[in-house]
Amino acid sequence: MRGFRILSAFLLLTPAFAATHYVTVAGIGGEPDYEQRFTNWAKDLDKALKGSGGDVQVHTLFGPEATKAKLSETLGKVAGEASPDDGFVLMLIGHGTFDGQDYKFNLKGPDATAIDLAAWCDRVPAKRQLVVNMTSASGASLAALQRANRGVITATKSGMEKNATAFARYWVEAMRDPGADADKNETVTALEAYQYADKKTVSFFETQKRLATEHAMLEDTGKGDAVRAPSAENGQGQLAGRFALLRIGSTQKAAADPAKQKLLARREQIEGEIDKLKYEKAAMPQQEYRKKLAALLLELARLQEELDK
Amino acid sequence: MRRLILIAALAALPAAAATPAECRSMEHRGKQAEATACFGQLARSSDAFARAEGLYGLRQYRDANEAFRQAAATQPKNPDIKVRWGRLLIEPFNKNRADAVALFQEALEIDKTHAGALLGMAMAASDGFENRATKLALEALKADPKLVEAQELVAHLALEDVNPEKAVEEADKAIAMSPEALDAYAIRAAVELLADRPPDTWLGKIQAVNPRYSEGYSLIAHHLVLNRRYEDGIQYYRKAIALDATDWNAHSQLGINLMRLGREGEARKELELAYNNGFKEASTTNTLTLMNSYKNFVTFETPKTIVRLHRKEADLLRPYFEDELKEAIATFEKKYKMVLPAPVQLEVYPDHEDFAVRTMGMPGLGALGVTFGTVVAMDSPSGRKPGSFHWASTLWHELSHVFILSATEHRVPRWFTEGLAVHEETAIHTDWGDRLTPEIIAAVKDKKLLPVAELDRGFIRPAYPAQVIVSYFQGGQICDFIVEKWGFSKILGMVEAFKQRKSTEETFQQVFGIKTEDFDTQFLAFVDKRTAKVVANFDDWRKKLKVLADLAGGRKHDEVLAQGDAIIDMYPDYVEAANAYEFVADSAMEKGDKARAIATLERFAKVGGRNPLALKKLASLYEERGQKKEAAAILEKINWIYPVNDDGLHKQLGELYMGLGQPRKAVREFGALVASKPNDKATAFYNLARAYVGAGNRDQAEEQVLNALEAAPGFRPAQKLLLELNAKKEKR
Repeated sequence: MRGFRILSAFLLLTPAFAATHYVTVAGIGGEPDYEQRFTNWAKDLDKALKGSGGDVQVHTLFGPEATKAKLSETLGKVAGEASPDDGFVLMLIGHGTFDGQDYKFNLKGPDATAIDLAAWCDRVPAKRQLVVNMTSASGASLAALQRANRGVITATKSGMEKNATAFARYWVEAMRDPGADADKNETVTALEAYQYADKKTVSFFETQKRLATEHAMLEDTGKGDAVRAPSAENGQGQLAGRFALLRIGSTQKAAADPAKQKLLARREQIEGEIDKLKYEKAAMPQQEYRKKLAALLLELARLQEELDK
Repeated sequence: MRRLILIAALAALPAAAATPAECRSMEHRGKQAEATACFGQLARSSDAFARAEGLYGLRQYRDANEAFRQAAATQPKNPDIKVRWGRLLIEPFNKNRADAVALFQEALEIDKTHAGALLGMAMAASDGFENRATKLALEALKADPKLVEAQELVAHLALEDVNPEKAVEEADKAIAMSPEALDAYAIRAAVELLADRPPDTWLGKIQAVNPRYSEGYSLIAHHLVLNRRYEDGIQYYRKAIALDATDWNAHSQLGINLMRLGREGEARKELELAYNNGFKEASTTNTLTLMNSYKNFVTFETPKTIVRLHRKEADLLRPYFEDELKEAIATFEKKYKMVLPAPVQLEVYPDHEDFAVRTMGMPGLGALGVTFGTVVAMDSPSGRKPGSFHWASTLWHELSHVFILSATEHRVPRWFTEGLAVHEETAIHTDWGDRLTPEIIAAVKDKKLLPVAELDRGFIRPAYPAQVIVSYFQGGQICDFIVEKWGFSKILGMVEAFKQRKSTEETFQQVFGIKTEDFDTQFLAFVDKRTAKVVANFDDWRKKLKVLADLAGGRKHDEVLAQGDAIIDMYPDYVEAANAYEFVADSAMEKGDKARAIATLERFAKVGGRNPLALKKLASLYEERGQKKEAAAILEKINWIYPVNDDGLHKQLGELYMGLGQPRKAVREFGALVASKPNDKATAFYNLARAYVGAGNRDQAEEQVLNALEAAPGFRPAQKLLLELNAKKEKR
């Protein structure tokens, strides 16, 4: 909810030309089964991102294209095209290794180290960045990748979790399942996608009665340790909560209509009041809370009806 | 006061040092003060072995263990030390069976005919309900024909094997060997009690030798419990405690059995008393730990049911378990023409280890569910892999026990109550219950089915690893055969006969007018007819299924489709991992032949296939063809198997019920979706609100739509529903 409030403000303030640049890479599979799986996931992401509308620049590398040189070249291209107001997302699918010192993303030919990846990302001028490393041992890449205004999501908590991961499968699913948009604001944020994929991954291991061999982590303050469950208490998740990964509705369109600005402003005000009420929930009788909540939600619904006309 | 008794006892002791055997003899005769003094004298000995025996007799087990260790170190080739040390370790206080067995084996390596070591091995095997226990006890007797304990153990094992005649015969041999064979008297008393005859003669004999022999009463209680006469068992544990308030094993067993019957307050008191007095063996500790975990469980009560579920899954599972339990009770009340004396308490454990504590010390499989009177404990579907456990079938199985135990006043042979429970699983739904497994086929093929009069043995002390499973199957088939040939009224006749304390042989004579041997002949012909084709094809089927699996792995779909059906027909009951149905259905899908995939998966579901993924595939195919009713029926099957960790299942089924105009069922499914704590809470609440609107419950609908909007204030469909509900409210 907090993410939604900040997101609303962000949508109103973001210049119309702000774009988001996505680079997705499916690394080498090693076996036909993995090769096919990684490629399919990358293709699915490519399709979801390109179909989301808005100003998106999507670059997807898989198969023979997924080399260190090509990745460097693609990120160089993005660095040249992106502006500081733009968003930038790097998503890595495949196998990763960690030898106790260096994390390596397994590509056709030479691998890319975490240092390589960080250096390439640092050249991209976009101020809002997100790196989603979904490979095995990806936890080991965090230290090199973390930076202010860059969220880093890893499929594993450290370089010691070396099994092929399931997280990527559910991250891709989050881009296709409207259910990932937990607050129904027609935008899937990085935090929502993370929470969706993490929950599904945990459930996968529980259902299979297998010991979990991966624990996804998120860090978006640019300092400190990554966490499993981002929250206001641990200070993680704020950047990810307002990082629009995928837009799936008409929010942007409404924001651009001057005739509806007043209604939008009131909507935001009511949303703020709902947030405040929820914050005070524990300190008031349940009946009073429900009554106030119902009144605010009803007003919000009526206002939305006006906006939708 | 105790000191004065000790001094008096010491004065009565001979000047020469007593031997451990003499001390134990005093104890055996109930001369506790003298025995304590005698053991005390040994405990002060400079000889480590003698000291160990003294400390053992004084129940200072830790120090005794250390003294035995020292004795064994100084005399590594003395088998007697190892045997006595092993005996210390299998005492109820320690229950360290593995180390004890290792010591007995070491003793046997030194002297392979050591009677004490063989007896120790037999005792350890008996404790674990191992089939070799009797053989080992007889070997001990062969090595030392005067070993009364071994003879008593043979009698005890015979009674455990539900052979009271043999138990009496063997107990009498022990009594002939020694008029002080207290356990033999206890066995005789237990035989009388199990036959509902007064045990007074034999209890009198125990008292004449040792008025404080509480172990005898615990032994009787053990046999009563083993025959599911828990209340009677509890009475005898109480009598044991009345004789010796410091018999912590009796306190612990009393606590465990009280807990089995749901009397947790007193159970905890007894268990804590035992625990606080140093009786910390696994069953006491684990039961207390389990009781402490009950704070994480929620209990729901109705007039006829008490359902205890873990807090983390209570909201999700309650509707399914409560409804199924109520339906089972109503069905069995009608079928068995009786009403239970108390509500049924159903405990559902998501952690299998917690459930395992409930079955500890019980023979048989006990892997899925267990019944104690009107208390049923079982695994939760969340504790098992999807498709490996049919919880509803297990619940009906256990409920059948509740009724049969009650109807027969707990006087029912194990084979009959288990067999009838297996029969009831498939009587309610033909695809429930267990399938014909490869182990059962092998047993039928090798003619390993037991005569019905001896079938109990297959449950208690299996002669081969799969015998328990085979015995369940055989029991179920016997009941199927009876119902098919004579009708269900004969089952009721058998229940009545068992209630009248008739034996299996007498029951068959009374109800069918035939001897069990004649019944066996007819039954085997029935089983042969039912299984002949599968048994004959089995080896060939195994080879062909392997080929089919390779073809499926190689994506050779045409060949899978060409060969698959014939392999299914060879052994239609095989629905476990790597079954032919799923290979054929997958290949049919790959070839775009949805009709074939549906037909194959329909057969799979009908015969008891339980893989939720395959069943979901069938439901989706039905849905694609607009067969919503069939799709819903298939998804309902999954609810009986694995309703947890699956938001999608409840969402899909809820939508189907909405489409079928069955909003009440949709309320249940969307309620389950909400209880699953899905990532998309808003949609889950919104769907529940829609279902409530359909069911005409507008107050609940408003409540749920507000929940949806609390999670996602901008959720348009929920906003619209809120406005609609509000507009209707304003009109009212």
